[in-house]
Amino acid sequence: MAEPIGARLLGAAAPLYPMAVLAAAWELLARSGLVSERLMPSLQRIFGALYTELLSGQIIYHAGISVARALSGFGLAIVVGVLLGVWMARSRIFEALVEPIFSFGYPVPKIALYPLFILALGFGSPSKVALIFLECLFPIALNSYFGIRAVDRKYLWSAANTGASRTRTFFQVLVPAAAPAIFSGIRVALPISLVVVILTEMIGDSSGLGYFISYSTASFTYDLAYAGIFSIACVGFVLDRSLVFLRNRIVFWERSGSAPLSQ
Amino acid sequence: MGFMTASGVGKTFERDGKSVVAIADFNLTLEAGEFVSIVGPSGCGKSTFLHMVGGFEKGEGTIVVADQRVTSPGPDRGMLFQDYALFPWRSVIGNVAWALEAQGMGRAQRNAVAEKYLALVGLSQFRDAYPSELSGGMQQRVALARVLAFEPHMLLMDEPFGALDAQTRELMQEELTEIWQQNRRTVLFVTHDIDEALYLSDRIIVFTARPGRIKADMRIDLPRPRGADIRKSGRFTEYRNQIWDMLREEVLRAKAGS
Amino acid sequence: MNMPGLDNRHVRMAAAWVLPLIVVVTMQVMAGSDSAPRYVVAPTQIASTLWTLVQSGEIFVHAWASLVRAYSGYIIGAAAGVGIGLLCSVSRPLSAFFDPLVSIAYPVPKVALLPVLITWLGFGDASKIAIIALAVFFPTFINALYGARGVSQRWIWSARNMGASRARVFFMVIVPAAAPHVFNGLRSGLALSFIVLFAAEMVGARKGLGDLILQAEEGLRFDLMYAAIFSIGLIGFASDRLLLALRRRLLAGKFPGEARHG
Repeated sequence: MAEPIGARLLGAAAPLYPMAVLAAAWELLARSGLVSERLMPSLQRIFGALYTELLSGQIIYHAGISVARALSGFGLAIVVGVLLGVWMARSRIFEALVEPIFSFGYPVPKIALYPLFILALGFGSPSKVALIFLECLFPIALNSYFGIRAVDRKYLWSAANTGASRTRTFFQVLVPAAAPAIFSGIRVALPISLVVVILTEMIGDSSGLGYFISYSTASFTYDLAYAGIFSIACVGFVLDRSLVFLRNRIVFWERSGSAPLSQ
Repeated sequence: MGFMTASGVGKTFERDGKSVVAIADFNLTLEAGEFVSIVGPSGCGKSTFLHMVGGFEKGEGTIVVADQRVTSPGPDRGMLFQDYALFPWRSVIGNVAWALEAQGMGRAQRNAVAEKYLALVGLSQFRDAYPSELSGGMQQRVALARVLAFEPHMLLMDEPFGALDAQTRELMQEELTEIWQQNRRTVLFVTHDIDEALYLSDRIIVFTARPGRIKADMRIDLPRPRGADIRKSGRFTEYRNQIWDMLREEVLRAKAGS
Repeated sequence: MNMPGLDNRHVRMAAAWVLPLIVVVTMQVMAGSDSAPRYVVAPTQIASTLWTLVQSGEIFVHAWASLVRAYSGYIIGAAAGVGIGLLCSVSRPLSAFFDPLVSIAYPVPKVALLPVLITWLGFGDASKIAIIALAVFFPTFINALYGARGVSQRWIWSARNMGASRARVFFMVIVPAAAPHVFNGLRSGLALSFIVLFAAEMVGARKGLGDLILQAEEGLRFDLMYAAIFSIGLIGFASDRLLLALRRRLLAGKFPGEARHG
């Protein structure tokens, strides 16, 4: 019994409903004259600016830099974080030494250390990537740690029962079993990487979308600034969806539990 | 006119794009004060029917209880679930008094009522404990006290002892009968345990495999009040063999159909 | 790798200090030598600077400014997030608007809006509180909605069976049942509020610990910088502990798996 085509279209359009409402509200406000036209340009102007910038390659240039930084730190954090998490779960000594740092350090904003990173690594990309790495490390390591610890013993017993070696058990049982939890951590870390890269670019730099927005605002060219914000939104959205797609391919046996919304 | 009348009751589920007919064109009448059990193979629709009487599921046909059409859940048909469904954030007494609280009764009054029913199930000293601290059997007794506390016209029980171990189950059956015999509310009881149905009921309905229909509607002629010994009697065994033969047919049919 | 001694709580607590102590000692030693970079400051120096700040009360001025912003933004954002999140579980129109909106906006860094907010609301507290509230809304909303949607159908049926109205079902069943998830969201939101706070303060603020750090760094007063960083860490940590204590008070012993939570 196929769903009526009307219902299907409605379902696909559903995500656009709030966006449409907000866009309409924005246009109304922008054109009403209640707010200064400079401060709140119409969507037409914003997208016009966006188009120009895209053509000139400016936005793509800055976006590329931001994304490169974010993904570098993010990628590094995945590798190191998962390793740390696994190690903590498997070695009680390592756990006793290191886990408290993660638990206690979690609510501490590591962004506060950014000036230190600047001093040690300069103003450019390295300090940013280092901070991104640090911030992303925590959720990934912690989630991996909890994930491995929470693996049902029965899986391990089943594997041992078949005479599987420790290595095989680790890679073919433990890691897949902990994969959903590990991905949970990874999914949390991705937006963090974006936040940190944009933020650090705003504080001080001459490249990247964060800088672009900051500079546009300071130069009173608000339509450019909004265009920049929109670009970041797109980047963030695309990256997240890509991650979800990847996750569902890799952890195919468990539908995205870490996506608590109806997607 | 019976106490509960179901006419033309049907329910179809959509599962993965396929339609599954749980029950179709189902009719049943219960008299007031009867203890009626429904036994049937897994997936035969017995729980679905119970949920429809409870007003939790909607489908075709009409169900009338005490001259009122059933359209939604309500305190006139108290439900006992297999997983107890106690609220873990409330104490035992808080759970038992919950319905009364929801209906606006004052604290002192509802606690008095709750305590009465808590005593009935023998758990007075656990009044301030939390469900997570109790065993399965105890939790089910609290659930029983809870459902009795708001004095429904009719009791619906969905395999309430299914999650308990065999020994606890037998004891719970005895306790339930004792309590029921005190004021003989109408009960609709769903189970797949024939011995349990025989021990508790005045009447047993055997369901066919899905879609559920009435294969047999048997009056159980065992003496009341029933003690533990009844399980050893010849008559009991006769009934059990009879029902099991019927059930077995349906179980096999259900397996073949799946 | 198993050592029986590690089962002892006290041994574990001691082990937790090993790495931090190593770092502190290394810093102390390195700070003395001439070849050390300028930003390595002796912990003893940091401690004494911190003490000076405490005595002069200067640290409290900044800390208070930061705290007010953080907590205001947090409370606004969390109240909105939890409230709307819970309500979305029972209201279809509400959920049709917010669910897709949050889903799309979640991976977008809200800090991108910071310059714009500062332009609209100025460099003062308002823009900080606004960005914090906006950021905190997301994890609190998501967790509240997730928790509310995950409430066992049996409990809702039981409640309706017992004659509870829709409103009572919402307040007496859904809200308490969703509480553990709500607290997860509150905890994430709290950590996030401090992060966003210092982010906002570093971009531009008058007073506040983030501002202090930047000032210290510009003035090459690294001891001051560390002292401020430490204070920030302390506040974040203490707030988290407070929230956990609150959570324990409300939930302990009642929910499965809610025993002595660390």
